Amino acid sequence: MLEVSDIVTSYGKIEALKGVSLEVEPGKITCLLGPNGAGKTTLMMTVAGILKPRRGSVRFEGRDLAGQAPRRIVEAGIALVPENRLVFPNMTVAENLAAGAFTRSDGAGIAEDMERMYARFPRLKERSTQAAGTLSGGEQQMLAVARALMVRPKLLLMDEPSVGLAPLVVEEIFRIIRDLNRDGTTIFLVEQNAHMALQVAHHFYLLELGKVTFSGAPGQLAEAEVIQRAYLGSKKTQ
Amino acid sequence: MVLVQAIIDGILVGTTYALIGIGFTLIFGVMHKLNLAFAAASIAGAFASLVAWQHFKDLPVPLVFLISAAAAGVLGYLIYLTCFRFIPLKSPLATLMATVGMLIFLEEIVTHVSDGKAQNYPGMLPDARWTLGPLDIRVDYILVFAISVAAMLLLLALLYRTRLGIATRAVAQQPVAAQLCGISLDRTNAATFVMSGVLGGLAGAMIGSSAELLSNLLPLQLTVKGLIVTVIGGLGSIPGAIVAGLLVGAVEKGVETWSVLARDLCVMLLIFVFLVAKPAGIFGKLNVRD
Ligand SMILES: Nc1ncnc2c1ncn2[C@@H]1O[C@H](COP(=O)(O)OP(=O)(O)O)[C@@H](O)[C@H]1O
Ligand SMILES: [Mg+2]
Repeated sequence: MLEVSDIVTSYGKIEALKGVSLEVEPGKITCLLGPNGAGKTTLMMTVAGILKPRRGSVRFEGRDLAGQAPRRIVEAGIALVPENRLVFPNMTVAENLAAGAFTRSDGAGIAEDMERMYARFPRLKERSTQAAGTLSGGEQQMLAVARALMVRPKLLLMDEPSVGLAPLVVEEIFRIIRDLNRDGTTIFLVEQNAHMALQVAHHFYLLELGKVTFSGAPGQLAEAEVIQRAYLGSKKTQ
Repeated sequence: MVLVQAIIDGILVGTTYALIGIGFTLIFGVMHKLNLAFAAASIAGAFASLVAWQHFKDLPVPLVFLISAAAAGVLGYLIYLTCFRFIPLKSPLATLMATVGMLIFLEEIVTHVSDGKAQNYPGMLPDARWTLGPLDIRVDYILVFAISVAAMLLLLALLYRTRLGIATRAVAQQPVAAQLCGISLDRTNAATFVMSGVLGGLAGAMIGSSAELLSNLLPLQLTVKGLIVTVIGGLGSIPGAIVAGLLVGAVEKGVETWSVLARDLCVMLLIFVFLVAKPAGIFGKLNVRD
């Protein structure tokens, strides 16, 4: 569904991605694990069109989207739940959802999807007229997910959705990820929480220092080693 | 009583300063950059309408106002293209210097168009008065107030009830997330410059109209006053710009009853007081967007 080939993305002279290739299969949950600074967010931002790659291609359903404007990528059916949620703090929950549907013009469909989001996330319904900045961290994460779903994406990218949340809320986020996937959404998930990620992933990649260093199914690599490499990188020992 | 009268007049006319402050603040809110040419462009819009008025004799005043608003809206877009669109936004001073250049350029154009002196400009009902007990209020001041308030309500409706409003607020609060929603930064920025330009052109026309004169010195004077209003109100705050505009208008007219020469001095004192006592402005929260 999504094929990333040999992507190089840099900040000035620093290459954050040094030729990354990976693939996301339709209907599956694919995870990207790796230590801080490995380039996970850079890859997500490159796929979403916020960062322009120096080189390489991002094929989605056969079309090359590399370097296209974010709007084109959203219209192609890819939505990103960004790192740190990035909700619009002074807009209400309902307005955040409306912003998520910005590229759509089917008023009835948007209203229907909004109700579906409220059904899936009852807490957002209770707070629909509240400013997003007043929500708790977990609620903001739900809102960021719901806002991305308003795109009706075929592929949902999620960048560390569980970071900084209480254990119970993390459980809930992963339950939502499973539910969404069961309902037909393909998911490409970046996680620091390797233990939880390996439980939901059909396939996972390890990214270290801008390069993919492992690709396989959970179980192909001992969890202890995955966790160690996802947190610390492969050069250190436990 | 004279003072009360002056303060009421000041509040009525202060709404034009509020519009100018809103223009500065809107652009700052969305781009986190100052457009120093904004007030000059507003007056340039008024001069464009003056040229039209002189050319086609007897243009109705509402049409003159609309021409000023439209011309300033177009100028707003041109300023966006020349001073922001292709200039590196990461460099904190690049766009600021570009707008200083544009300010000087527009001022020069106004000097040429005006022959370096104040020009007659059509007034709205200049002789009509409304007597209310001991107060004697000019009807055209009431019109200025009404038109300004209507323009502000229209702006609020635009910002809070339309798709463009969602885009504008989204870009102001969280530009990366806005792009992830498919909102174009370029188009939203351009629309903001046009919106604020239209407000500024309307304000410029009303400032000229209530004096029945368009002064060639207005571009600089209004730039300074608009910045003062913006700083007192808090950069990026629309309610702040409104309150500060009325405050500056009231202080100006109030001091005028005592001494015309002390007027601008007192407005400067006002900004000094605010910078010391409340540097973030009336409603400004330093570091917080929107
Ligand atoms: N805006 C930026 N400017 C310069 N370097 C950056 C920027 N963002 C990230 N980097 C660098 O790029 C590398 C990858 O960062 P990132 O993609 O955020 O990693 P991860 O999400 O895996 O923690 C890091 O070395 C980081 O320091
Ligand atoms: Mg990251």
